[in-house]
Amino acid sequence: MRPAVKFALFLVASFASAQSVPDLEGVWQPQQNNAMFSVLPHKPGFLLGTGSKTGIVEGGVLPYQPWAAERVKYRLDHMDMDPTGHCHYEGVPHAMYFPFQLFQTGTDIAMVFENMHAYRIIHMQGQHPKDGYQAWMGDSRGHWEGKTLVVDVANNNDKSVFDMAGHFHTDALHVVERFTPLDHDNIAYDVTLDDAKAFTRPFKMHFSFKRAPKTFQIMEAGCFEGERDQVHFNDTVKLSEHYDHELNTEAGAKKDGK
Amino acid sequence: MPSRHLLIALLAFASLGPAQTKAPYTAPRTIDGKPDLQGIWMTRNAASFDVSEVAESRQIPYLPEALEREQKGDRVDPIAHCSMPGVPRITYMPFPIQIMQRPGYVVFLYEYQHDHRIVQTSARTHLEDIDFYLGDSVGRWEGETLVIDVTNLNDKTWLDSARHTHSDQLHVVERYTRLGPDVIAYEATIEDPKTYSKPWKIAMPLHRITEAGFELREQECMEGDSGRAIHPPYRPAPKY
Repeated sequence: MRPAVKFALFLVASFASAQSVPDLEGVWQPQQNNAMFSVLPHKPGFLLGTGSKTGIVEGGVLPYQPWAAERVKYRLDHMDMDPTGHCHYEGVPHAMYFPFQLFQTGTDIAMVFENMHAYRIIHMQGQHPKDGYQAWMGDSRGHWEGKTLVVDVANNNDKSVFDMAGHFHTDALHVVERFTPLDHDNIAYDVTLDDAKAFTRPFKMHFSFKRAPKTFQIMEAGCFEGERDQVHFNDTVKLSEHYDHELNTEAGAKKDGK
Repeated sequence: MPSRHLLIALLAFASLGPAQTKAPYTAPRTIDGKPDLQGIWMTRNAASFDVSEVAESRQIPYLPEALEREQKGDRVDPIAHCSMPGVPRITYMPFPIQIMQRPGYVVFLYEYQHDHRIVQTSARTHLEDIDFYLGDSVGRWEGETLVIDVTNLNDKTWLDSARHTHSDQLHVVERYTRLGPDVIAYEATIEDPKTYSKPWKIAMPLHRITEAGFELREQECMEGDSGRAIHPPYRPAPKY
């Protein structure tokens, strides 16, 4: 092929691919009920908000291994173990329960949150670091599959959690997020999570994002370490009363016919 | 034989000469035709320890009562408690800064404590009755320069760890101008009628981090973690 023709084809191809990438810029509000309190269905109550009939986990079950289910039970009644109460970073998908503004360039997608003055940079190139790097929010690498933004999140530490209800993970956590625009104002958010150290199988979470009105602006939220009161919840708040712990195990889930 | 003064003047002229004759740099443009400041940048100075190092004439024009207030005030640098460092200090914290630009926006993503500023460059007035650690930033373009007007700052931050303080009347005007492919000139005018007798200026270069594949990493402040390392080695030490 002659170089000029080749170059013309290249231009057409790059123009076409640039055109076909959806524009996700804007301020987005997650559409879910109280996932920050618990990702599972839960009754309303103090520190579990107004409750949620569905939760965001597919099937309403977290397939914890028995040892991990025991640990969840312990953490539920030891509120001081919740890192977000100490102003620590949420991790993914926990951070996504809060509104954010998305900025999109060819190489990076930035999600800038008000909550916890967090941001995520989703690199559309490169690879996960292989030097032992671990982070609360992990390392995010994105690519487009048609109109869906697929983000692979690795390098997670074992300190971030899924909610305030003791649902934790280990540093084996691997998250794949899929952002699919449904129309101009809605994005479907489907997450697959895999953590062979704590769970018996991969599991899924779903909710969506709705475009915020134009007047919405991300501001500053200062949450700084120094919280000293959380430990006092240990004696008074029993989040375990809001759950049927059988449901946290694969065996229990089977018994429940799920 | 030339006098000592003449010699100094000649030397001064020689050192200024090239900079003055060089044509001003015109930065590449973004898709909306604005100077492109995008990339990962970092200061190379110790201003975060003592800001007077980068102050014009190395003097901070304190009002006597402000100096007295400062002497009687808190003696622990607020960032030791993981508080955000405020503006302009966030710029000269010794950590990388990624700048992203979109039409109507300049976004600053600071590695330090995952702080961020979303700066709108479309005209708007400052917010009312609210203050922030990093203030309220309103940006505008003046030719090659991004000018950011920052108000609504609280009085809880210090300008450095040498306890140079300010009040909630602080007003900062920042100017970002590309000097070349890998340098941004950063200037800030600092005004605070409750603390300083007149506005004063700081200036410093921001250098592009040119290392291939360099990316921001996560820097989480963990004060109060019962003796766990405050800043874990989240990035391997640079090889020299």
